[in-house]
Parts: sequence; structure tokens; C-alpha cells
Amino acid sequence: MTKDLEDDLHRVIMRGAEGAPQAPAGFPAQIVSRSRRRRGRTHAVAAALAVVVVAGGVGWAVRGQGDNAPVVLDPVATPSASAATTRATAPRPIEQVWPQAVWKIPAKLPGIKKYQPRIFIDDHTVLLETWESFEKANAIYAYDLTTGGHRKIADIRTPKGVYASNYVAGQDRIVWQAIDDMRTTFWSVPIAGGEPAPIPTDAPVEGRADTTVVVGDRLAFSVMEGGVFTLPLTGGAVTPVAHAERHHILRWPWVGTPGDYTPENEPSFEEIRNVETGETSKALVRPGDQHVRCGVTTCVGMAADGKPFYRLRDGSHERELQQPAMTGVAFDRFLTVRTLDESVRRQLLLDLDTGKSGDLGLHLTPNGKSGRSVEPGISANNLVAYPLGDDYVIIDLTRIT
Amino acid sequence: MEDDSRFTEFVAERANALMRYGYALSGNPHDAADLTQEALIRLHRAWARVRSKEDPERYAKVTMARLHISRWRLRRREHLSWAVPEVPLHDTLPSDGDKDLWHALAGLPRKQRAVLVLRFYEQLSDAEIADLLKISQGTVRSHASLGLARLRSEMAARRASPAKARPTPAGHDRVTSPQTRTTSAERNVP
Repeated sequence: MTKDLEDDLHRVIMRGAEGAPQAPAGFPAQIVSRSRRRRGRTHAVAAALAVVVVAGGVGWAVRGQGDNAPVVLDPVATPSASAATTRATAPRPIEQVWPQAVWKIPAKLPGIKKYQPRIFIDDHTVLLETWESFEKANAIYAYDLTTGGHRKIADIRTPKGVYASNYVAGQDRIVWQAIDDMRTTFWSVPIAGGEPAPIPTDAPVEGRADTTVVVGDRLAFSVMEGGVFTLPLTGGAVTPVAHAERHHILRWPWVGTPGDYTPENEPSFEEIRNVETGETSKALVRPGDQHVRCGVTTCVGMAADGKPFYRLRDGSHERELQQPAMTGVAFDRFLTVRTLDESVRRQLLLDLDTGKSGDLGLHLTPNGKSGRSVEPGISANNLVAYPLGDDYVIIDLTRIT
Repeated sequence: MEDDSRFTEFVAERANALMRYGYALSGNPHDAADLTQEALIRLHRAWARVRSKEDPERYAKVTMARLHISRWRLRRREHLSWAVPEVPLHDTLPSDGDKDLWHALAGLPRKQRAVLVLRFYEQLSDAEIADLLKISQGTVRSHASLGLARLRSEMAARRASPAKARPTPAGHDRVTSPQTRTTSAERNVP
């Protein structure tokens, strides 16, 4: 490295870019055919969300999302996306599909201009975080979905460059973490309100916590560097969890390796272990599989032929997905997909267990200006929240049955 | 479309250059392929107009940069029609310092990285970058200076502590829980 960062940047970006993938053979023709196909679809509501073929030629198809039909066994389905295309009516909004699991709350609350919903504290209370600057939390609130009322739990102060994150609730307390100089400190405050205090530990927690859960009267956490530990909520010794030295928490009591972060495109959570029973599972990964992201029971990824798949960890019950689930599937069943309709691309929440899907209300028009998109990912956080107009939409995935 | 032969010629000639540009923008081979494919599909649909009035390569590059920084693309990926091969970083950046800088770039927010790539890879002026990204020149300068400052401090930290040279999740285009969505992974980067 020379001292001149700007010269270095020019060189590093120019050279680094040489690592780009090469366009495949036949690329120009592929582009033309995709462009034409897209035009042809302009008036069709999304093509099939998923089609699958299992051995023996019997297919599973998710029918057009408009009718919210469950995944059905379809003996005539063929392995083409068009086979399951239906011209369904527009998909129904999520609040109609899963009324028990969806709320809309005002995006501005008395005394709070802007907030971020973070977790469910219990089945009707959401933890909201406010910021003093980008991503820098300065207070947490409890919002009651049944009454619409909110109250401050605590003010949060962190040093410059240190951020509160990864909130969890349990044992009448809210716990979060702050990472400073590659060490993690856990903080806690009673849900009822009070002054936050660090949870004392016998030695500094080396590493950056990535996932934290409350298990009984203990906190269990894994660090980005690998390793699962527990700690009494009231403070004390940090105890490593046996046989989990390289592991990350997936969904307690399941831990696995590698974790969610796989820079070399390794299959995430390929090996998992139940730390309570000792049960282990190694996911089947076929030669050429890419972007494989596994949960406790399922994996998604892209097969060697470029087709996105969804299957059980042992490789059985494979289905083809129309769109890849690049961040994984929440609770082994939820992902979001975009409809392929050119005039309005809708984002749908899809439940792979039942085949039901609901329109999140995040529409994308050809002129581009649209809201954000949402992906639940592998995370075990049951809260999915996003701003929509003057509201925040709050979804509790565990209430979708 | 009568012009398809000229379009396919253009793609055959320039696709790999666009892939490199997409890779510089995103630092991720899958995003690079996705951006290139999407921009070329859009170019095909606008081909007649673009060919008569604009430079097709510029049109594709502008599309890619805007797609890359636009909010809606944050978590969207197209179904690519081919598997994207990875090229090991050490093949292109043999020096550790250069690899570190590439990893540090991955930790920047998208807009900051895009501005730096347009300035140092495309060698555009601030005015051109502002026009391309539809932001003010002041914002371009601010993204560039914040990005450079962050790279400087990240590189200083990496030099001071080799343990920090591990790539961090910030550059990985992942989204997990709502609470780690957005750029929260970046806050773990000193």
C-alpha cells in the first residue's frame, strides 16, 4: 500500500474488477429472449411462483397467488414455469390473508417522529427504537398493539462509534449489545422501565456477538468469529457451549456452522447441532449448488443449472422456486418474492408450507420510485416490519399458522 | 425487432466490460451479473431510441449505477440464467494491502462506494457523477469524503490489528432480521 489512498483506490478497483464473472456463452441471445418474455408478460399477473418436480414426474405447484390456494399435488405439472401460470386476480393484501398476524401502526407517534420496530417483547408489544443519528439508538419504547399506546422503556447512551443492537426480551428485561474494539458488552433494563446497566462478566466478551437469545435465566449468544456461549442474565461467568466452538446460533437450541455470513459462498448452516439433545444434521449440498442457505429443516439455493431450489436438508422434496431466496427462508417457510408483472411489480410474502401469499403493499412501478423491499432471511426474529405510507406494517410470523 | 443483430453485437462486445463495472460497483459477482443482465434487458427494450440518441454503453452503465443504489434493489435479485463463477481475489489482487482495501470497500454504504467507483474507476467528474446519480454535487463530494475517511480509518485499523483484516458482513449483501436489516452490520466495523 502506498500512502496515497486515492492512487491505491484507482489501482485496486481497476484490478479487483478483473475478478468479475465472464458473460456466459449465448448471453446476447439470452438477453433478447428474456426481454421479449418480459414484454409478453406485461399483462399477466405474476407467473407461477414455484413449480417443482420430484422424482417420478409428479409435480408440486404453487398456484397463482391470487386465489391463495395451498400447494397442491398436481399430476400434470411439467417442469416449466409456464405450466403453473394462472391468470389470477390481483393478490390479496397480507392483512386479509393473515388478519391475525398483521397490524398497521402510525409511523409518527406522539413525541416520536421516527422509530424502528425491532422485536416483539410479547405477543402484543413491539419494541421501538429511536435514533439520535443514523442507526445510533438513543431510546427504546414499548408499543402496545392492542391499545395503540406507547411508553418509553429507557434512554440509551453509547460512546462515539458504538451502537446498541440485537435486542432480545426475556425474564422481564430487554437486553441488547454494544460492540467496542471487537468486544461485546451486553446491556439490560427492566421492561417496566429504568436505567440501563451493563451485564457484568467475569472477563471481557471477546468477539462481536451476532445472535443473542434469552434461555431461561441465561443469555445465550454466538460471536461473528464463531463460538456459542451462555451468561447468567444477572451477570457472571461466560461459559462456552460444548461442541459449538465454530458455531453460530440459528434458532435455539439449534446452532450451526458456518453461520449466516459466508463470504466465500459456503453453504450457510450446512452443519447444525441441537445443543440440548446433541442431535446433528449435515445438509446435502450437490456439486455445483450455489448460494445455499439452510435453516433447521430446509435449504434454499441455486442448482448448478442456475435454477433456484427449496428442499429439505436431506435433499428430499425438492421444489424449484421461480426466484432465488438469496437471504434464506425464515422459520424454514417464509420468503418474499416479486411478481413479474411489468406494470406493477408487487412484493409478496409467501408461506411455502401452505402456498398462501399476501401482497405486502410494496409496489414497484416501471418509473422506479418505490418503497423498499423486505426479506425476512434466515433470522429467527418473528417480527417483520416496514414503513408503508403513513404507517408501519408489523407482521408476527409466528402467528401465521 | 429488426435491430436485434446490432444489439447482440453490442452485448457480445461489451458484456464483459459491463460485468467488470458491475463488479466494481457491487464487489459481488452475483450482483455484478444481476446488474448487467437487468441493464441489458432494459437496454434491449429501449434499443431503437437509445441507438439513435445516446451511447448504449453509457445508457447501460447509468442504469446499473442507479439500480445499484436505488432502495428497491437493496434486496432484490433477479433469477440469473447462469451460475456465476467466482474468481478468487488473490488472482486479481495478490498483495494483502490491496485485498484489505477491497474488503474495506465492501464495508462502505452503497452510495459512498458508487461515488468512489465512478470517480476512480470511471474517472468521472463530480458534476458528471451528480448528473448520473441524480444527486447534487455537494452530496457527491460528501459521499466521496465520508467514504474516503472511512476507508482511511478502516485501513489504519487493519494495519494496527491484523485480526481486523477479516472481511466483515457489511460488504455481504445479506439481509437477516428486521433489526439487522439496512446497514446495521456495518456498525460492527470500527
